[in-house]
Amino acid sequence: MRAGLSLLILVVTAVLVGMGWVQSGGMARQEMRSAGTPQEAVESLLSDIQARKWDEAYAQLANKSDIDKSALIRELNGSDGSLRTYSNLQSFSIWPLHATADKAVVRARLTWSSAVGQLNNVRDLNVEHVGSTWKVAWPKPNVPKVPPQVIPVNYLRWDVIGRSASDDWGVQNVDTPSVRITSMNAVERPDRVVIVGEIVNEDTVPAYVAINATLLKEDGSPLDQEGSFDLISHTLLPKQVSPYRIDFPGFHLKQVKSVRMDAKALLISASADPVIAVTDQKMDRDSLGKNVLRGALVNQSGQTVNIAQVLAAYYDSNGKVIWVSDGYVDNALLPQVPVPFAVDVPDDVASRVQNYHVLVNHYSINKNS
Amino acid sequence: MRTITHLMLSVLLAAMASAADLRPPAQVTAGSAFSISSSGSGDATFYLVGPSHVLKRQVKLGQAIAVDGDHVQTSGRYLAIACGSDGCSSAPFYVVAGEPDRLSFLLHPSRVPVSRGDAINATAFVFDKFRNLVLKPVTVDFRITPKTGAPFTKTVKSDRGVAWMKMASTPKEGPVKVIATVASAAEPRIIQQVASDACNLRIRASRTAKSVLIETDPVRDCSGNAVPDGTIVSFTAIDSNGKTTVDAPIKKGVARAELPLTGGARISVASGVVIGNEITVGGRS
Amino acid sequence: MRNHFVSLFPSHAERGPSPSRRRVVFLTVLLLLAGLCSLGVIRVVHADSLPQVHLNADSIGPRPIEELTGHNVTRDYANAWRDLAQALEKDQPDLLNAYFTGFAKDALLKKISEQKKTGVHTRYVDHGHQLKAFFYAPDGGEMQLLDKAQMEEQILDGDKVIHRENSTQQYLVLMTPGADRWFVRSLEPVPASFGQ
Repeated sequence: MRAGLSLLILVVTAVLVGMGWVQSGGMARQEMRSAGTPQEAVESLLSDIQARKWDEAYAQLANKSDIDKSALIRELNGSDGSLRTYSNLQSFSIWPLHATADKAVVRARLTWSSAVGQLNNVRDLNVEHVGSTWKVAWPKPNVPKVPPQVIPVNYLRWDVIGRSASDDWGVQNVDTPSVRITSMNAVERPDRVVIVGEIVNEDTVPAYVAINATLLKEDGSPLDQEGSFDLISHTLLPKQVSPYRIDFPGFHLKQVKSVRMDAKALLISASADPVIAVTDQKMDRDSLGKNVLRGALVNQSGQTVNIAQVLAAYYDSNGKVIWVSDGYVDNALLPQVPVPFAVDVPDDVASRVQNYHVLVNHYSINKNS
Repeated sequence: MRTITHLMLSVLLAAMASAADLRPPAQVTAGSAFSISSSGSGDATFYLVGPSHVLKRQVKLGQAIAVDGDHVQTSGRYLAIACGSDGCSSAPFYVVAGEPDRLSFLLHPSRVPVSRGDAINATAFVFDKFRNLVLKPVTVDFRITPKTGAPFTKTVKSDRGVAWMKMASTPKEGPVKVIATVASAAEPRIIQQVASDACNLRIRASRTAKSVLIETDPVRDCSGNAVPDGTIVSFTAIDSNGKTTVDAPIKKGVARAELPLTGGARISVASGVVIGNEITVGGRS
Repeated sequence: MRNHFVSLFPSHAERGPSPSRRRVVFLTVLLLLAGLCSLGVIRVVHADSLPQVHLNADSIGPRPIEELTGHNVTRDYANAWRDLAQALEKDQPDLLNAYFTGFAKDALLKKISEQKKTGVHTRYVDHGHQLKAFFYAPDGGEMQLLDKAQMEEQILDGDKVIHRENSTQQYLVLMTPGADRWFVRSLEPVPASFGQ
């Protein structure tokens, strides 16, 4: 009697656990893990990556023996305080490129949500037929090795001491930096008016700059006012030039009689370090056929740059700024390690670009300034 | 009879507590004690209302009302009011600033490029010891001592409390001291004359094992002043792989950059809106 | 058969107001009047509208004035006078924080402090200002103006008006720019002969 009761409790428990497993999608996951098609394999892998289930994701790879699990996690989860470490895989879309009986290539467009907005990248994944299932052969992560070395930091640094709040009016003070907008161009886009141009720090001290623009109607009254937000390099060292872009969604040029620009500059503590080289810049097309400006960033200092933003200004044959685009780089810039970047360029702009200039905005967690 | 009595009593009372007539001086110097003569008789409440002061006290009409200098330190328009049983009367007067005693001196900009016409602006506001603007014309001297060259003085007559002047910056970089003086008050200020834009920006290149080292000549402005360290110089190289740019700060008068170039390239340099020379380097042999 | 309904408009035979009807009419009229008055009061109470300020910058120098600067100076001077009038009438020094600084603010704060001690306060009824700008520093940091203000000034001891005056008063004004507005740094009443 007692033994029968125990058996009954055991069976009921097992049934309930099984029901719970099915309810939570266990069957579906199991089906996915036993991927019958290349797309299912990629979908299953990316779902685990999205859920940050690294063990399950690693277990699905066709080339586990070639890939170090910690390197894979480092690549997907981010490291060194990079932008990826503050991002989540929000969504993905996949489509097959080509397939044979044993191998296939599936294109995946990954959309990451980050502190600075959405970041997209496109990967072409090789998928292999292993036994009765398809599995993804993940490209071997390239973990950069920075050789041990001593890099002297002897770049200039500026500190600011201003007047105190109790100081009388008219006492000795330091003036705000002198900055000048060197160009301004109003551009019509399908859904907005965009103001692009460049600003230079004419002073001998660093400046924190921000630009606002006001669109004015025929009668001189304001139509709308917007700021440059992060489409400008806010910290400008002496004689440094930054592009800027100000968007006015929902407006058209025909509504605008004139534009009033307002550049504000403040004194700021800053350092001339790090120096970041922008190498191998060229106009190109990405794997989706969109126009991009590609290149690589090389941090020439000894300190890791955690988050880098690329700002690019494009000029026509008259030297006029016709567009400004930007993009954040997922990975941290380790010293001396090139990191590729690509920023979008609208098709109609790309056809008119004669020259371009790239500036790198940077943020380092351990920076004192 | 009763009516006549009431009438006589009213006239008597009215005569006894007649409305005051205040006669302050037309003008008083700030901080100076003075008195206001009054007519009438009886007790009254005296008010003195000014730009920064309110006084209320009991006085006897018909006597001089003494006002301490502490009550009229701020220049401007004052109202003396006396209210007796017969009503209130008032008289305005003005308090004017005393002798010049201090200056508020504004000198702009705190950093100015060399050899710029009318680039330096000096504005001085003349005050008395109570911080009242001295509106009568006074002579303000601006004594200028550049880093190199003889000091000189510009004399300006103030107008409605303000004296100002403009001057050009000198060709040599360095501190410039300007002292504004009036009477016994002196206010020194220092501004920095800094090098102007780079002039004759020139670069040279040399190959290393894996890259090209580019270096500028000592960067100077057109007056020969060294452009300050930290000023950004942009190097641009165009080769078969595309374009490479480096924004490098000047260190000890020279800007340097190492570009990872293996083949031939065309290299140019710029600083701010100034463009330098262009050189061509060949590929590695 | 006569319908049983009460007419609001009595027939001729029934005219001649009853006491209760008279009371109703009287109360209605009273309520209407109260409403109209309260509307009027509301309009007065909410008349924190800015005083009229007109700026003439024809003889300004050495620096020319930008159109936007002229607009901002006019606006901020009007705001300053609105705040000054309210601060002095209600003895509220905080109202001076937005548009006053330096000597002007110190002087007004001292005046409010003494008003509170003595029970005297000042009421301004502002009828507008004619501002003439004559000095604008080359670096744009200071502006001097002469203000001809049409003002009714009342001095009150408690609730009793001890002085009332309608006049044109001249003020020598010094204004300096802040982050997003112009501040009144000095506001000195000067005689009518000043600047002639």
